[in-house]
Amino acid sequence: MSNKTKQVPRRRFLKNAAAVAGGAVVAPTIIPSSALGLDGAVAPSERIVVGGIGIGRRGGYDLGCFLQQKDVQFAAVCDIKQKRRGEVKQIIDKHNGNQNCDMYRDFRDVLDRDDIDAVLIATGPNWHATAAMTAAKAGKDMYCEKPVTKNIDQSLILADTMERTGRVFQAGTQRRNLPHFAFACELARTGKLGKLKKVYAHPAGMQALMSGWLPAETEPDPDVVDWDMYLGPAAWRPFNKKLLDGFNFEKGGGFVGAFRGGGVLEWGSHCVDLCQWAVDDCLPPVEYNTPENGELVARYENGTELIFREKGWIPLGSCPVRFEGETGWVEAGDSGRMVLSSPELLAGREVAEIGGYPATFHVRDFLDCVKTRRQPKGNAVAACNAHIACHAANIALYLDRQVNYDNVKHEFVNDEAANRLRSEALREPWRL
Amino acid sequence: MRTIRIMIHLMVILAACHALPADSVKAADPAASSEIEKSLIEVLQSEASPAEKAIACKKLAVDGSSEAVPELAKLLPNEQLSSWARIALEAIPGEESSEVLRAAAQSLDGRLQVGMINSIGARRDPQAVDLLIKHLADEDAEVASASAVALGKIGGEGATKSLRQALRSAPHGVRSAVAEGCVLCAERLHESGDSEMAVEVYDEVRLADVPQQRIIEATRGAILARNQGGIPMLLEAFQSPDKKMFQLALGIVREFPGSQVDQALANELANTTPQRAALMIQAMADRSDTVSLAEILKAATQGDKLVRLSAIDSLRRVGDPSCLATLMKVVDDDDAELANAAKQTLADLPGDKVNTEIVAMLPDAEGENYTLLLELIGQRRINAVEEVVKTLDNANPAVRKAALVALGETVSLDRLSVLVTQAVSPRFPEDASEAQKALRVASIRMPDREACATQLASAMGQSNPASQTILLETISEVGGSKALQILAGAAKSDSPGLQDNGSRLLGKWNGVDAAPVLLDLAKTGPAEKYRIRALRGYIGIARKFPMSEQQRVEMCQQAMDAAKRISEQQLVLDVLKIHPSQAGLKLANQAKLNPELKEQATATAQAIAAKLKK
Repeated sequence: MSNKTKQVPRRRFLKNAAAVAGGAVVAPTIIPSSALGLDGAVAPSERIVVGGIGIGRRGGYDLGCFLQQKDVQFAAVCDIKQKRRGEVKQIIDKHNGNQNCDMYRDFRDVLDRDDIDAVLIATGPNWHATAAMTAAKAGKDMYCEKPVTKNIDQSLILADTMERTGRVFQAGTQRRNLPHFAFACELARTGKLGKLKKVYAHPAGMQALMSGWLPAETEPDPDVVDWDMYLGPAAWRPFNKKLLDGFNFEKGGGFVGAFRGGGVLEWGSHCVDLCQWAVDDCLPPVEYNTPENGELVARYENGTELIFREKGWIPLGSCPVRFEGETGWVEAGDSGRMVLSSPELLAGREVAEIGGYPATFHVRDFLDCVKTRRQPKGNAVAACNAHIACHAANIALYLDRQVNYDNVKHEFVNDEAANRLRSEALREPWRL
Repeated sequence: MRTIRIMIHLMVILAACHALPADSVKAADPAASSEIEKSLIEVLQSEASPAEKAIACKKLAVDGSSEAVPELAKLLPNEQLSSWARIALEAIPGEESSEVLRAAAQSLDGRLQVGMINSIGARRDPQAVDLLIKHLADEDAEVASASAVALGKIGGEGATKSLRQALRSAPHGVRSAVAEGCVLCAERLHESGDSEMAVEVYDEVRLADVPQQRIIEATRGAILARNQGGIPMLLEAFQSPDKKMFQLALGIVREFPGSQVDQALANELANTTPQRAALMIQAMADRSDTVSLAEILKAATQGDKLVRLSAIDSLRRVGDPSCLATLMKVVDDDDAELANAAKQTLADLPGDKVNTEIVAMLPDAEGENYTLLLELIGQRRINAVEEVVKTLDNANPAVRKAALVALGETVSLDRLSVLVTQAVSPRFPEDASEAQKALRVASIRMPDREACATQLASAMGQSNPASQTILLETISEVGGSKALQILAGAAKSDSPGLQDNGSRLLGKWNGVDAAPVLLDLAKTGPAEKYRIRALRGYIGIARKFPMSEQQRVEMCQQAMDAAKRISEQQLVLDVLKIHPSQAGLKLANQAKLNPELKEQATATAQAIAAKLKK
């Protein structure tokens, strides 16, 4: 890693693409519904054929959002667990009124199918980046749950890979397609709050997210539970059934998450992502400090502060964000509500109050973009920048000192220890 | 015994993990880091468990140096610990790490060998090029494929040359990876300024017998690397019968530099199907810096409906004042879908200049355009109150209606009186209903609701009873403490009409703040029927709003004391039952003393007690 100098990626194009995607308060009617094949019955040629990879609890919710869409044909499910493969097939078959949903243990078999246009990746975070990039190289578009990457290097490679392969990538950052969050970000982005001074994100914990090496148990038949595939790119450890459910290898940032820090990414991939949108999806902060009084302060190149704050929020539900400018502020949360420093900021507009952070609009945005080839709201560049901010904050937490990040060289400034934490080897045979 | 052993084992691992933060702080100090490294190397040299060795490897990724490399190298053939060792070796800088990875890439085979090659690729080790070229011809397709991608990541003349050769000669199963390597090399060539060579490589991949996705990647690169010279190839992609190639072209349009391509795309619209043209127009409109508005406007006014709809819709993002006249014409189209799309776009056209232009057009507008402009002023919330007010005398009811709607959306507090007048004494009686609606819309959105309520109240003084009712209802919708005070005053006034309306609106008040007002009215209201209405409103607040247990029981007690009829007392018991509490139970028990209430109070007390037990 340290011998590698990451080339400046082709960001000028990517930045434009991200700006295009983030330009409107509420997703524009990208194209008349008739052109998208959404009026009346959808012709088979206009349907998007989708396969699901790792459909557990969160994936099951996403699946429901996909099945609501008239132009989606869910055709395959892949899971390393036999039981879950069968359960998800039942849901899909029931919806489709047939028995045609195919089941797979290895997601590469789904990717080999020419008839599948897109995949829903809802595995554990250990797999997200590797599966996404493998899918892109197989020519599939994808909706990929968050957190998307395990470290800084993965974030950069993800953005580059999606650009190179020309695929449509939507991170599961569904708050980008909810009106009140979009409105709050628009106020910040368009100067309605005056010069932006601070953007606040709620990381919901800056503590360790510990993965482990539990005592070995008898490994099940791979047909029942494919442990090798479950580990995937994560370093080897013996089978233990406690690691199977709700366990995420180094969730929140590769090396860092295994020991300390890492928590920032779990919710940061949502709320830092919104802060990134508020600062017009610019490059991530360049300075990251250690927490003081429950606040970790990072600074963007232009001086605006990104503050990871544990407490002091107006009770607006989970995942709150707050944007403060010289003349006004706005705070919004998962209840669907927002509080403004002045009602005049509304300028007479009505902003729909949609609580409970549904992903339906985000899924629709993805599907529309599959057809139009626009960049969706949670595109790879936006996700890359938000994830880098979280990973860098995790590294500051882990090293327990300030770190400075160079967005051109994609490395920490004169800081070998921090630079060593930018990436982590994948278990064989996986690569990015 | 086994359980204890496992627990100790786990504790060791967790302790090792949790010890790291403190160590890591020291890691900034080279001497401390060296000490940490020494102890970690000792773990690797010991008979420690695989778990402990794994964690030691992970720590060495931060604290390791060339000193640790020999011990890490010993773990590379270990199927369980190989990947852990590579975590450290990929991170530790220097030739020593590279050397052991290269050596292992030659001595190992199968998956482990693939792992070594992947790490070499991740480290972009230029010394490994010859080795990787050798493995490019490996019998194991996985090894050969890993080598091809690693060569692509490293790049350079030797790597590029070998990959280009392999593109023709490699077995089918390896060729996709070889093409991937070629594309990576071409990308580096382009970034370093050698676009000519990059194009050569991209073109070779495009024409090779490789999976379609590799051809797509190469085509994208070939178009962009050619810069303006890539336009014909881009158009070729648009003309391809292959859906994926067409989709690729749609994506490339969004990133293609310069303005030449905009006209080329416009010309291409005529040569394609309406479905494709509709998608192309969306892509054209995403090129906001160079978009040809004239071409999109043209597409909005003529040709296939699907294309027109797409063009009209795209103007919502890139339109400007020059689009107004055309879109207003489309609003007159016989096709309702087109007309509605145009209306929507007019409402959303970006920029303040559009607003200025709409207001400027108003004085000379005629017929339906006049109405349309007024509607737009309302929809876009353009501040043009004086211009709109002038239209309130227009003989056309549709124009006046549009004007009132616009005022409802735009008028500020200092001009609210315009709508008050129209609502209570309109010049045209048929406008009354629309004016009242507009007054309500305007009043509700006023930032200072106290001032708004005050202004509406002052208008009540000069109004007839019917108008007073309208104003009072509007005040009620505005809300706030002033509104509450005004309603209370009305309910206790000398006017029977105001008493009726005031108590009715207070009874429907949507907030706990009305409780004291209602209780007072329940006790001192001017007539029995209003006192009962107020008491029922008061009980309703205790029933439906969130509040502390103590506050709710206190309200129930007050209501019970104020109630003169069994029916209201029974409503109080219902509240206690819905929100069970110890204090509520006590109150229900007290109610048993009233013989008329005894039966329901007993049932309520039992229900509360049962719920409290759960």
